Amino acid sequence: MTRWKKFLIILSVIGPGIITANIDNDAGGIATYSIAGAHFGYSLLWTLIPTTIALIVVQEMAARMGAVTGKGLADLIRENYGVKITFWLMVALFITDLGNTAAEFAGWAASAEILGINKYIAVPLGAIFVWVIVVKGSYRIFEKIFLFVCVVYIVYIPSAVLAKPDWSQVAIQTIKPSFQFSSAYIVTFIGLIGTTITPWMQFYLQSAVVEKGIKKDNYWASRIDVIFGCFMTDIIAFFIVVACGATLFKAGVKISSAEEAAVALAPIAGKYASILFAIGLANASLFSASILPLATAYYICEGMGWEAGVNKTFKDAPQFMWLYTFLIAVGSLIILIPGAPLIAIMWISQVINGIMLPFVLIFMLSLINKPELMGDYMNSKTFNRIAWTTAIIMIALTGMFIITLFV
Amino acid sequence: MPLFGELFLSEIIKKPVFDPKGDIAGRVRDVTIVKGDPLPKISAVIVERGNQLFRIRWEQINLFNKRIISTYLAISLIEPYSISEDDLLAARDILDKQIVDANGAKVVRVNDIKLEGYDGEAVLIAVDVGMRGILRRLGIERGSEGFLKLFQAQMPYNLISWNYLQPLKPKLKTIALTVPRQMVSELHPADIAEIISQVSREEGAHLFKDLDIETAAEALSELKPEMQADIINAMDAEEAADIIEEMPPDAAADVLSDLPAEKAKEILEHIEKEEAEDIQELLCHEEDTAGGLMTNEFIAYPPDMSIKDAIECFKKDAEDIETVYYIYIVDEKEKLIGVTSLRELLLAEPEARLSEIMETKLKTITPETDEMVVAEIISKYNLVALPVTDSEGTLLGIVTIDDIIDRILPPAAKRKRRKM
Repeated sequence: MTRWKKFLIILSVIGPGIITANIDNDAGGIATYSIAGAHFGYSLLWTLIPTTIALIVVQEMAARMGAVTGKGLADLIRENYGVKITFWLMVALFITDLGNTAAEFAGWAASAEILGINKYIAVPLGAIFVWVIVVKGSYRIFEKIFLFVCVVYIVYIPSAVLAKPDWSQVAIQTIKPSFQFSSAYIVTFIGLIGTTITPWMQFYLQSAVVEKGIKKDNYWASRIDVIFGCFMTDIIAFFIVVACGATLFKAGVKISSAEEAAVALAPIAGKYASILFAIGLANASLFSASILPLATAYYICEGMGWEAGVNKTFKDAPQFMWLYTFLIAVGSLIILIPGAPLIAIMWISQVINGIMLPFVLIFMLSLINKPELMGDYMNSKTFNRIAWTTAIIMIALTGMFIITLFV
Repeated sequence: MPLFGELFLSEIIKKPVFDPKGDIAGRVRDVTIVKGDPLPKISAVIVERGNQLFRIRWEQINLFNKRIISTYLAISLIEPYSISEDDLLAARDILDKQIVDANGAKVVRVNDIKLEGYDGEAVLIAVDVGMRGILRRLGIERGSEGFLKLFQAQMPYNLISWNYLQPLKPKLKTIALTVPRQMVSELHPADIAEIISQVSREEGAHLFKDLDIETAAEALSELKPEMQADIINAMDAEEAADIIEEMPPDAAADVLSDLPAEKAKEILEHIEKEEAEDIQELLCHEEDTAGGLMTNEFIAYPPDMSIKDAIECFKKDAEDIETVYYIYIVDEKEKLIGVTSLRELLLAEPEARLSEIMETKLKTITPETDEMVVAEIISKYNLVALPVTDSEGTLLGIVTIDDIIDRILPPAAKRKRRKM
């Protein structure tokens, strides 16, 4: 194959990996990274390296299953484990994603307020905007735009540079693991992994690969897409932690959300750092708020055998449309309740992601090791080890978290 | 032989199978399926005891129903079984799989499988693709039914008859509908209607769009009113008008009366003027009266027409008209004065006048007559059609026996579906 041809294949396949990885840095994600930086300085930076490896392994598995079987993850779970398991898994994921959707709108509301827009105007407008996109069926165009919008995440890099971190310290802490046995540290740790490797992403990525029609032969290009996306996610995460670590941690400012981070950055790192931070958050929140409910409605319908699709009407695909509408309506309404515990919602949704993840990983691992499904594309031993380790660490951390709650 | 009425596969999974002594020989894990005539049938029941699987052949089954499953064999004689890729197992290979149409588009999933006793065998008669199937598998079908009853709602059955599915073979990945779209047109309209009413709404509309106008019009008449309205509503007015125009005016009026007023008006505007007027006239009657049932297409000639001329005219007129068994005789003011049958007409002397052979003792009804009364008259006098006149005796239309039957018995597609 000539280089030119290879390049063309990469271009045609690119998208699912990068987009999935970027929506992953959503409102909840940015909040988690900000808090990690503000409360623990650079001391959690080292977790990004194993997390990136785990993320690549897990995402690669999802993309590979999609390319080899031509089916979504929910499809495979339903066909291999039956309706009962699928149903309850979908119920659990629906609740998780409702929390996640609310978290996206919380992020959107917060960033709008920093940029001077009242949340009672911003949230309904945002909700209507994302709803109309799907109901009017222009999602495909929207996804292309989104690929470009991913670039907006780069604003976090100048934001971190403006915060003037001590780069040598940053470098040391990134490669030197450390651990603290406190409930706050462990929760933040789970949150970090939970926000980086989310249950719903695996469903979204696999369906996106199937929908793009990527086959075994072009799978190598899809792998590049996935790896590139994963690095991008964690590089952004890295700069957010650095920005908050260099300023808020040093100044001893405790924050509990991404917008507090944005606001608190202003006096220490300058107004521009603060505004850039807020723009990044607004961008992340709104795009995730449109894709997350969509992905959720998609995979629930996939699993239950209901019609789904953005070009369908309420009559053709009632379950799909109602699920999507419900997630957006309820997700945004929660944010509009005066005095709603927004921060808690964002936070808890990340932790629930972390708790749900092992279950999804176990399903993925058992599916990808079925010879009748994957043939020559089954997991290698190394992959199995890394994925199982991720699942076990998540279970262990969650257990520890629950124990620290009671001690 | 052992069977039973009908049951769903999910109702027997994990049920105990008893041996002649009343001991549990194992619990049902799956059933193996083989090709049968006319439908696939169960060849053996696979049971699980301890961690081992055993096979009980269908001939060795004694009782097989929702409540009890038993075998003639003593436990010690039951042969062990190991799962084979070459066997077709209902739960493993069919449940939860997708059903796709000929174009490979995703349609639905198999939520459950319906079995029925036929000639001593247990045959697969349909797959359940509806909400009921999901709830049954979750074990909450009854509960949900009761819950919905509180709101006076009912849960629909949503089954696809096995006749429309591909023949089964081992190693199934997906199941396809056997009736590819292009073949659909060759079926009888009533059968098409049945398929359309069984697949998903969207799929139904798709099938419908591919039909030629004439077949579409006939198939549409066979569907349930809500379904008709759905399909017509989804089309643009011009397309819809083409199909409606093909239908007899009374059927057309029925369809239009179920549509939103706006849409109905739009469609009428696209229909040829004369035809549109006929339909509009019918639209103003109540649905369950003679007026609502009647069609204003009939054959009527003046009394002084000769038999020979009448037959000539009949040959031309009968082409576009549904019911041609009676020839009505009307005066110059369109007042009904007599009737004769096609048979009388053919048997009469060619030179005679219609007035000479016509029957003048007429049974007529007014547009306000209730449909049950219409049915009684038709049945009592063994008529094929009954003329509707206004108070002055002007002939407005006729109510034909097929419309009355549809009213008393639901159309075939609807009936079948309820039965399954």
